Amino acid sequence: MSTTKVPEVRDITRIERIGAHSHIRGLGLDDALEPRQVSQGMVGQLASRRAAGVILEMIRDGHIAGRAVLIAGQPGTGKTAIAMGMAQALGTDTPFTALAGSEIFSLEMSKTEALSQAFRKAMGVRIKEETEIIEGEVVEIQIDRPATGTGAKVGKLTLKTTEMETIYDLGNKMIESLSKEKVQAGDVITIDKATGKISKLGRSFTRARDYDAMGAQTQFVQCPEGELQKRKEVVHTVSLHEIDVINSRTQGFLALFSGDTGEIKSEVREQINAKVSEWREEGKAEIIPGVLFIDEVHMLDMECFSFLNRALESDLSPVLIMATNRGITRIRGTNYQSPHGIPIDLLDRLLIIATSPYSEKETRQILKIRCEEEDVEMSEEAHTVLTRIGMETSLRYAIQLISTAGLVCRKRRGTEVQVEDIKRVYSLFLDEARSSQYMKEYQDSFLFNETRESAVDAHKLFKLPDGLRIEIHNDRLVLI
Amino acid sequence: MAVQCWEALLKSSKKTALIHDGKRKIHYLFADGKEMAEEYDLTSDDLIVRKWRSKNPLGAPGQWQIEIGEPVAALASVDSEMIKENFSNPIFLRQDTKTTFQWRIRNLPYPKEVFSVSVEPSERCCVVKTSNKKYYKKFGIPDLDRCQLPLDCSVLTFTHANNTLIISYKKPKEILTLEHELLRELKKLKGTGEGDADCKTQ
Repeated sequence: MSTTKVPEVRDITRIERIGAHSHIRGLGLDDALEPRQVSQGMVGQLASRRAAGVILEMIRDGHIAGRAVLIAGQPGTGKTAIAMGMAQALGTDTPFTALAGSEIFSLEMSKTEALSQAFRKAMGVRIKEETEIIEGEVVEIQIDRPATGTGAKVGKLTLKTTEMETIYDLGNKMIESLSKEKVQAGDVITIDKATGKISKLGRSFTRARDYDAMGAQTQFVQCPEGELQKRKEVVHTVSLHEIDVINSRTQGFLALFSGDTGEIKSEVREQINAKVSEWREEGKAEIIPGVLFIDEVHMLDMECFSFLNRALESDLSPVLIMATNRGITRIRGTNYQSPHGIPIDLLDRLLIIATSPYSEKETRQILKIRCEEEDVEMSEEAHTVLTRIGMETSLRYAIQLISTAGLVCRKRRGTEVQVEDIKRVYSLFLDEARSSQYMKEYQDSFLFNETRESAVDAHKLFKLPDGLRIEIHNDRLVLI
Repeated sequence: MAVQCWEALLKSSKKTALIHDGKRKIHYLFADGKEMAEEYDLTSDDLIVRKWRSKNPLGAPGQWQIEIGEPVAALASVDSEMIKENFSNPIFLRQDTKTTFQWRIRNLPYPKEVFSVSVEPSERCCVVKTSNKKYYKKFGIPDLDRCQLPLDCSVLTFTHANNTLIISYKKPKEILTLEHELLRELKKLKGTGEGDADCKTQ
């Protein structure tokens, strides 16, 4: 008898994808800006983290415009991680724009325009705006799924205040966010009508007697009074770039034909700047300088660097953080050599934070954090082997082996990654050094036509970690 | 007095008139960027529609806000993803007559005793309440606000028939004279006939 597998229903809470830096939740500093050895996903790099913390204070303070910081260090020493940590520590209210140096090269837009847009995306304006919100207690929520399993869902939501009651029809997006927030009858919620954002205020007092299983943090609130729909003043942050776009759009029916904004005229920008400073003087708005992070900054060319020099002088410029892994190299667009591939006059304006390679203990710690993040259980020995691999090859390679080893382990029905799983993936996937060595060897000596001695050569060549060795079985190199 | 202020504001606005579809359509553009549009019936001179539009503080044009007339059914395509009121809910709209401000609330299938309508002069609004806690509405009278005239409790009446609650508020004589003058002025405006008019806002 065959059993049919029932597909799991899991559309309620989607699992977040795991990115290269998703384990980082902050800079891992205490209140006195002293770095903790392991905290918030950050390991080691104490001096650089402390330096980043000082910069962070400066950004939070918001008084100093147009400072620039360069994070320099070898590949895989956590430059991007520090920048991401700063972004996380700043929170969602401070604009943080990240771009890679090569992103600004486009045929549609000039380099300097792309850079100015990035600069203005990193400047926030907090402004009051009136929006229409619906605030009430949920009486009933009813969601019908079509019998076929596919197609649009239909939903109805009944909300009430102490004075009235209204039935709403729900669209697909609203149904999804309601189920994501786990809204149920008895909750007091607000819905922003324009954006569809739902926030739960708590549970209604009238439901306080229900013997429901409730978390300790469940708050009881009064049922709202008066009308369900209210106009409320909300403060929100928009970037200068967004204001630019709104005001540069062709007005009237012509707007229908010009979807893209393309280049924004400098007059529009000047007008906006004047308006924003007027609002600030009147107390209507507050300027929030954010952070512009340019990764791989050596990819910028001479024109961009001189533009940066100029742009940093404006009082409406964010704090600029750049990262590079280059040493003394040619500045793009010239024949001159310069440290980090950045012209000396710009370097002179920068505060430079250096990162250093990780020690074995730190590598071990990082790999452990990544194992947790990727939900892979690993035995102590396997962890040691992986740390060795990380030290001999690169941290990135070792991190990549975690999820692959996890898969290999799962395929053999194991629950914990063992040394064999690591060995298996180590033989399946070459790292950068082994791969280039292999190419060189392959070119001049046709390794596979030789006999057993070549395996010994290969062992020396490939710098294998202890406990691993290569033998030839059936004309193939096998890692044991 | 404030009636004059509003009158002056109306006079100073840029007006564009158009006669189309049996209606006299007038578009006002005020100095602060606000726009008002009115539609009058050609035969009876009744005001059918009055709506407002203004730019939000960031400079983006807003939606038309209807003050008088039937609400336009929003196109389902854009809003279908979000939330909207069910068609069975009460529909609130204003429909003036020559001598009264009048509001109609449709889809209210309750007996007349359920309703109570009152004027809150301090908050400058009227309040509709239901004793069965099904409907509640606060609304202002923008015409009186614009002319800064006081609200009067004694001139408000309401009736209920065919599932519709009709609330009437007798227009004060200042408003009556103002509206009369305005209509006379508007009739003098050279309305372009059918076809495209040169609109100053575009």
